[in-house]
Amino acid sequence: MSRKASGLKAWVIQRVTAIYIAVFSIYLVGALITDAPINYAEWKGWFAGSVMSVATLLFVLSVLMHAWVGVRDVLIDYVWNTSQRVIALSVVATILIACALWATQALVLARLV
Amino acid sequence: MKFRISRYNPDVDSEPYMQEFDIEVSRGMMLRDALLEVKRQDETFNFRHSCGEGVCGSDGVNVNGTNKLACITAIADLKEPVEVRPFPGRPIIRDLVVDMSQFYQQYKAVDPWLVREDPMPEQEILQSPEDRDKLDGLYECIMCGCCSTSCPSFWWNPEKFHGPQALLSAWRFLADSRDQATDERLDKLEGPYKLFRCHTIMNCVEVCPKGLNPTQAIGNIKNLMLKKAI
Repeated sequence: MSRKASGLKAWVIQRVTAIYIAVFSIYLVGALITDAPINYAEWKGWFAGSVMSVATLLFVLSVLMHAWVGVRDVLIDYVWNTSQRVIALSVVATILIACALWATQALVLARLV
Repeated sequence: MKFRISRYNPDVDSEPYMQEFDIEVSRGMMLRDALLEVKRQDETFNFRHSCGEGVCGSDGVNVNGTNKLACITAIADLKEPVEVRPFPGRPIIRDLVVDMSQFYQQYKAVDPWLVREDPMPEQEILQSPEDRDKLDGLYECIMCGCCSTSCPSFWWNPEKFHGPQALLSAWRFLADSRDQATDERLDKLEGPYKLFRCHTIMNCVEVCPKGLNPTQAIGNIKNLMLKKAI
């Protein structure tokens, strides 16, 4: 993350995404308890809806940003060697971006196919 | 009563070790009195102290794992054996005496003085009683160092993170209606280290012998930053 995003911005991102993650998680768990999809088609249909699709994409993006700020904080605290930190941050970023792309692909396919 | 005191003399010892002392305690005895008794038994023992009543902030030590001021810590409240160590995370100069240079550098870095843009008035700068009240819980800091040296974030990054003491002082001047350098002060605190290494662990609040709340002050700084940013 750029130097600009490092202080206040990262702190705000972490808190705002936390709220969205909390709200969406409560909805998701609630929906799964009260009205869980019973088969693949229903499951796919649920996530193919435009509101749910966008809400889930937002959720994935929030988790991505939240995790990035959190893991970066831990690495800043405990990994002082610059090259080690760059490697660690790169690995984390790669995994997070891969997760986000995979989730996006699944959501897009649910709407297309 | 059994005391286990951390000893270290850089000229002789390769690392600190614990030495046992048996101290006869009396009613109303404070830890500082016990340490003075240790010094009577072994005059090579060293620790900092001065006023003896929790005002000067000299005799901060780690007692049974918690940072305290020895002079206002009653022996009667301590579990035996009483383990006394120097502040954690600071370079030891000798026995319980530690090097607090970084702590003072961090304090200096927040410009702990009033900054005025307006010309100075002939006499004092007036302040309403309400504005003066905002400084309560901030100006009382005696800089003993109990908070900053109990803060893990300060242990990991003492040269970059200001630490709870300096940040409490930063808020003391941000909250002062007479100060006119709010933006400059906030700009200086931006970045991932100086302010934002605080993860609200709150060790500082727990150990402050003056009952101050650096975590609250840090939260106030973040909120003011946010308010000024949007």
